[in-house]
Amino acid sequence: MSECDTLHLDMPASLRYLNVVSASIAAFLERCGTPVDHTTIYNTQLAVQEACTNIVRHAYAENAAGRISVCLTLLRMPPRLRVELSDTGRPFDPCAVELPDLDEVQIGGYGLFLIQSLMDEVSYDFQPGCNRLCMVKRLTSDE
Amino acid sequence: MHITHRTEGDVQILTLHGRFDAYEAPQLLGWFNRMLPEGEPRMVVNLGEVPFIDTSGLAALVSGMKQCRQRRGDLRLCCFQQPVRIILELTRMNRAFELFEAEVEAINTPWGQHEHHVR
Repeated sequence: MSECDTLHLDMPASLRYLNVVSASIAAFLERCGTPVDHTTIYNTQLAVQEACTNIVRHAYAENAAGRISVCLTLLRMPPRLRVELSDTGRPFDPCAVELPDLDEVQIGGYGLFLIQSLMDEVSYDFQPGCNRLCMVKRLTSDE
Repeated sequence: MHITHRTEGDVQILTLHGRFDAYEAPQLLGWFNRMLPEGEPRMVVNLGEVPFIDTSGLAALVSGMKQCRQRRGDLRLCCFQQPVRIILELTRMNRAFELFEAEVEAINTPWGQHEHHVR
């Protein structure tokens, strides 16, 4: 891994700009040097979108001026994308949330389930003043 | 995203154009709140031009379906792209909605009643 394979975004914690994160993921993977199928790209975009939405709605529920730091890193052997999201909002451990009952039709509550379903590794770390969610996706061309 | 609306007989057809995510979902919720017809609403939502949907978009669709079914109508989905199918299958919402490949099929298939429990 080299610094060249890391991309940092610092964005307002607003639903308005979540499309920028998706576009950045697609553009980053397009130039990552390994073929990545559309489903892998889409699933990564969706998981990150859900994670950012949770930060906006929960971590920054009472802070409209919050920001989200997004760090995309290309890992080698095997090729993987690591997405690290950091915020300074209220501590919120997505890994501790109960998963939805899929036998019930419910209006919400699927975001965390999708993150865990779509990504290969999900971990959460809270240090005073900083939440950090790390997600890793294997990059394949034959899913 | 923008929404276009037309009517065929007693069926309302909404076509969504563009990314349907947490930022855009309130637009569809607003449509349901303001525009849902009286009586037993029969809605078809065409997702053929939606390249991306997240769980907030999905929640808006479930909310619309719930409102329709509470009034003995229904909301059907049609023409979804593969990514939309993925999220429907992962959340098992493909079992809650009536799904159709073609819009004409969604409009013309006889409309029944549903008893799905929606939380």
